[in-house]
Amino acid sequence: MTILVDENTRVIVQGITGRIGSVQTRLMLNYGTKIVAGVTPGKGGQTVEGIPVYNTVSEALKEHPADSSIIFVPATFAKDAAFEAINAGLKLLVIITEHIPVHDTMKIKAMAERHGVTVLGPNTPGIISPGKTKLGIMPGNLYMPGEVGIVARSATLSYEIAGNLTEAGIGQTTCLGIGGDLITGVTFVDVLKMFEADHDTKAIVIVGEIGRTVEEEAAKFIEGQISKPVVAFIAGRYAPLGKRMGHAGAIIERGRGTVETKITALREAGVKVIERPMEIVSAIRDVFKHGLT
Amino acid sequence: MRLFEFEAKALFSLNGIPIPEGEVVETPTEARDVAESLQKPVMLKAQVLAGMRGKAGGIKLARNPVEAEEFSKKLLGTEICGCKVRKLLVEECLDIDRELYLSVTFDSSKGRPVIIASPEGGIEIEEVAFKSPEKIIQVYVDVFEGIKPEAAREIVMKMGLTGDLLLKVSQTLWTLYKVFEKYDAIIAEINPLIITKNQQVSAAGAVLNLDDDALYRHPEVAIKPEERIEDPIELEAWKLGIPYVRLDGDIGTIGSGAGLAIATIDLVRHFGGKAANFLDTGGRITQEHIEKALEIVMMNPNVRAILINLYGGINPIVEGARGIVKFIRERKLQIPVVVKVKGNFEDEAWKILEEAGVDVIKVTQTELAAQRIVQLAQMGESVDYSR
Repeated sequence: MTILVDENTRVIVQGITGRIGSVQTRLMLNYGTKIVAGVTPGKGGQTVEGIPVYNTVSEALKEHPADSSIIFVPATFAKDAAFEAINAGLKLLVIITEHIPVHDTMKIKAMAERHGVTVLGPNTPGIISPGKTKLGIMPGNLYMPGEVGIVARSATLSYEIAGNLTEAGIGQTTCLGIGGDLITGVTFVDVLKMFEADHDTKAIVIVGEIGRTVEEEAAKFIEGQISKPVVAFIAGRYAPLGKRMGHAGAIIERGRGTVETKITALREAGVKVIERPMEIVSAIRDVFKHGLT
Repeated sequence: MRLFEFEAKALFSLNGIPIPEGEVVETPTEARDVAESLQKPVMLKAQVLAGMRGKAGGIKLARNPVEAEEFSKKLLGTEICGCKVRKLLVEECLDIDRELYLSVTFDSSKGRPVIIASPEGGIEIEEVAFKSPEKIIQVYVDVFEGIKPEAAREIVMKMGLTGDLLLKVSQTLWTLYKVFEKYDAIIAEINPLIITKNQQVSAAGAVLNLDDDALYRHPEVAIKPEERIEDPIELEAWKLGIPYVRLDGDIGTIGSGAGLAIATIDLVRHFGGKAANFLDTGGRITQEHIEKALEIVMMNPNVRAILINLYGGINPIVEGARGIVKFIRERKLQIPVVVKVKGNFEDEAWKILEEAGVDVIKVTQTELAAQRIVQLAQMGESVDYSR
């Protein structure tokens, strides 16, 4: 088993005719992803990598039933594209687009919650179940099938962690990014629940970084509700404070959001926190050695 | 992007929030003139993009125009909280009866707007939250519904206000939410909202942070980056749309992705080196972009080695490799450069780099790359790429 996607997942690519959309469609097809149709308003009737293009999501769905969409639409139009996919009845959206205005993301999130739709991103590398499918931009060759679930905020840092595991011969069930923006669809907690319920996932890896409080919330949730071993890496030990992040929501995030608070919270919840990405290998080996069900 | 206080106030006022009378000035003479025309004591407020400015001596009370001129001379040109003071806001001094706190921001976990109000304003709201959390009112807002006038009144009632003030403050709160919505704000804050002795309200302290990614929707908010980014390299990077932060080390770093770039800095430090900067190429490693990124890194004269850490996910990574080689050759670079490249099209990228004599790391371990660059930087030998 995997979470959210598997070899039967049928995918629509929104923004398929764009520079990134078309290249990534080819790479996903090469990986084995069941892409059934593409959507670009005004480009209906064309084909990209042999995939038929439609003007709207609902038009595409009439010919090609699907359950999920991966969105490469430019930031300016991304909110509308997401709304369109939700209204057409798709249940999983992977929003790759970065720089979507925060107010738009709040609306996408609210709309998705109303319709029971799962949103990964914005600004996510997507999701991959190695050997089965990938709805995302991650390099497929860094992954291999196995028993570790990875959830990350940063795209390339999650590649690093997965790549370290693969090079050591440790495979993964599903790896996904919640997205690097200030507001994202699913959070760490949502994904932890899914990994807990997935029989094939034997250990969970959280890849976090400074800012936001999703790691602290994950820590709180792990205590008591996650029975599987969790390993975490948090980037930003030497990052300059207050330089990159705005001070938004300061009161709610008061005293949290630094590397120290995240690491402390996770350690208190029984999570093994590693100091360097490479240590993921020994940490996971340890976990497996110490007897798993 | 944080606006200066005077810019925030101008937008607040434009939308109907009452603000103190005053003007922004750049010279002591202008400060005196404004004080004269106001005909009352004035506050001189350094216009810097930093909090805690009052504690750092950035706010002064001048009882008359002569003092206004005198104190302005002392304030202008100094540094407050690491920012040079180029402008002062000269404002009427209000007769304070009470100070309140109002803000609209969003909760990043819930992904919803949140209104935060407190009957205790004037000091850091974090301090209020810490000392008397019961005085903080937090109300989440449905992003589609926004806030209704009656909901705003309910919040203000919880702050303990009644009568005419209930109406005035709730109108202010309602408008503040509108401003938050209208300008794609990250945070819109009034602290303090002053109630004067004759029961008028006035936004004496204002903070407005706008979402950089939504600025294109607000051409009316003209933002001059050269007025708000102090470091010349950071300013240059901003103009090019490259996330860059200058640091105090000597190893230039480039990462394709913020998290990776941050982790790279951590690892350089772990192995005994110090990064000269943070730089994130994001998902657009074209030949041109990587050349620009390198240009930015090399603007810092302290840089004596460069670590480039790239993943070919969404990036045309081969082009990135070409950009690196072109930059090294054109600039006749002689400092050590280590490049770690993994992912889509990695073989082609390795070939291009190796043929140019660049040190290439072909495994996912950033540790190896960090270790190598720290060693090379410490050896301090120049590298000949012209072979």
